[in-house]
Amino acid sequence: MFQARNLTKRYGRLTALNDVSFSVRRGEVLGLIGPNGSGKTTLFECLGGVLPLDAGTLVVDDRPLSDQARAATLFYLPDSIVPWPAQSVRWALDFTLGFFNGRARLRDEVVQRLDIGPLLDSTIGSLSKGQRKRALLAIGLLMPQPLLLADEPFDGLDLRQSREVAQTLRSYASAGRTMFLSIHQIKDAARVCDRFILLSGGTIRGEGTFDQLASQASARGAETADLEEVFLALT
Amino acid sequence: MPSRSPAVCAPSAVSSFAWLLVKEYRELVASRAWWVLLLAMGPLVGVTFISAVRTYGEASGLNGTTAGVGEAFSPLIGIWAPTFSACEVAAVFLLPFVAIRLVSGDRQSGALKIEMQHPIPAFARIGAKALVLFGGWMVASLAPLAAAVLWKSYGGSVYPPELSSVVFGHLLNAGLTIGLACAAAALTEHPSTAAIVTLSVTVGTWILNFIAAVQGGIWERIAGYTPPAMIAQFQHGLIRLDVVLIAIALVTSGLALASLWLRLGVSVRRRVQESVALAAIAVLVLVTASVASPSWDLSENRMNSFPEADEEVLAKIHGPLEIEVHLAPEDPRRADLDRKAIAKLRRVMPALRVQYISATSIGLFEQTAPHYGEIWYELGGKKEMSRATTAESALETIYDLAGIKPPVEKDDEIFHGHPLAVAPKGAAAIFYFVWPAACVVGAFFIRRRPI
Repeated sequence: MFQARNLTKRYGRLTALNDVSFSVRRGEVLGLIGPNGSGKTTLFECLGGVLPLDAGTLVVDDRPLSDQARAATLFYLPDSIVPWPAQSVRWALDFTLGFFNGRARLRDEVVQRLDIGPLLDSTIGSLSKGQRKRALLAIGLLMPQPLLLADEPFDGLDLRQSREVAQTLRSYASAGRTMFLSIHQIKDAARVCDRFILLSGGTIRGEGTFDQLASQASARGAETADLEEVFLALT
Repeated sequence: MPSRSPAVCAPSAVSSFAWLLVKEYRELVASRAWWVLLLAMGPLVGVTFISAVRTYGEASGLNGTTAGVGEAFSPLIGIWAPTFSACEVAAVFLLPFVAIRLVSGDRQSGALKIEMQHPIPAFARIGAKALVLFGGWMVASLAPLAAAVLWKSYGGSVYPPELSSVVFGHLLNAGLTIGLACAAAALTEHPSTAAIVTLSVTVGTWILNFIAAVQGGIWERIAGYTPPAMIAQFQHGLIRLDVVLIAIALVTSGLALASLWLRLGVSVRRRVQESVALAAIAVLVLVTASVASPSWDLSENRMNSFPEADEEVLAKIHGPLEIEVHLAPEDPRRADLDRKAIAKLRRVMPALRVQYISATSIGLFEQTAPHYGEIWYELGGKKEMSRATTAESALETIYDLAGIKPPVEKDDEIFHGHPLAVAPKGAAAIFYFVWPAACVVGAFFIRRRPI
């Protein structure tokens, strides 16, 4: 569906992304896993077009992605933002649907699944971190683009909420939506993702399903009982 | 099970822009900065209007004083200019913060990262903000317009063309502030930096005016397009096409610069290159606009024009008129000559060429120089010197050089003035109590539930 080829991003002398290449398959939940400072957010911001790349191309169906096509293909949901803090959640959803011509048919369903009904009349600035995360996820799910990039979708959520959100994301993926999630909690990633990209120090250290990554790790003589051990072995 | 993903269809540009307008409106009415601007406008206009009406009334014979000269009583200078000066203060010290809040707020909150993923052009995004800010300014302008209604209720004269000129001038000035503040907010990371940049540019224009007053020459010409100079012309009922075009070009350039720098996904190098190209285009447009000569005197007493009979005669003089003025930039006689004669001549004789000659800026130590104080007029190969700086003497010299008999001034052309000796009844209650109270109540309800 979507390929990133040789992406490089530098901040002065610091190379945040170094020749990063990977692919995203239609309808999958792809997890971007890496420690803090590994370049996950930089990669997402470059993919979302809110940060310029120094080198590399984005390709869809073997054709380079123009800015216009990018806007129709993917939506990047940033982490740690408080958009329109004085506006209500209800209005933010209306704005998302109106401005981006979003998926209006899903509105009630998304509100119910993410349990943000009681928050609809609260202003976004007054929400707790977890509440805000759910409201933002609702915005992301209502966007029209087939590929959703969500940066740390479980950050700020408790265990129960994390599981419910994971279930929700999975169900939309099974309905045809493609998800690319940046996750630093490996247990969360293991719960929701079909495939994984391991990012460390701005470079890709592995890409594949758990089994594929585990076999790479075991080839290095590492324990492969769970994703955490695989991650540690490969990064 | 969720529904299948619908095919992505591009949102209609018109509908998206309408949503942006709604969003910017909601952000504006949610901002404290705008309500503070609105609140402050009442007392600011109150102070200026009440003191203007009192002064006008005293000069017109209020409290038993002798009535002044009728010709001097023009509401344009006596009432509208001081009353609307509140707008100038608000445009310099309050409006920038409202504009910066609207632009920087999106960047600070992260909303920009969401909104910029929409394919709508960046100029449309900043345009929506500018339109809403302009609308917000119009609401604030209701305070001086309320003063106009009060003045009319006192029996005061309202000459709509000259009042329109003042209002138009302040709208253009607000546009300049909005353009500047939007550009500063887009160029800088933090609102506080944007505020410092905006106020620095404003102070810069004041310094430019000072340098122009001292140095004259090209500085004087450039300073003629700064907001204070521009407003002064509109306050005198004069609308110059070059000033209007330059103001519009500056506003557009500021908004265009802002739109370039709000595209966070474009490399800084490319944004710098595009900004340089924009600056080059802007300079070209400004220089071209500066040669536009049409102007309109909307003042009731024709304070920017010679009497109509004189203008008819002057328009028939085709030869280029050259004036050589031996007066320093800071010599008050030069300002007098410029205002009373040369500015009026420029409007009817486009072929006029004026040359200023002085060795110093203040002229204090040039008084004994052989030619200092002389004003030489040259027309059709003939030269004549005068030392007078009045419109009458300038006209007399020009008619003499052209060999034309001066026209006779008609009585019905003389402006007889509108003296009015009244107290500003009810103004204090309206501007100090009703207006602020309405703002507080409005802020309380509308900020919670925008209309």
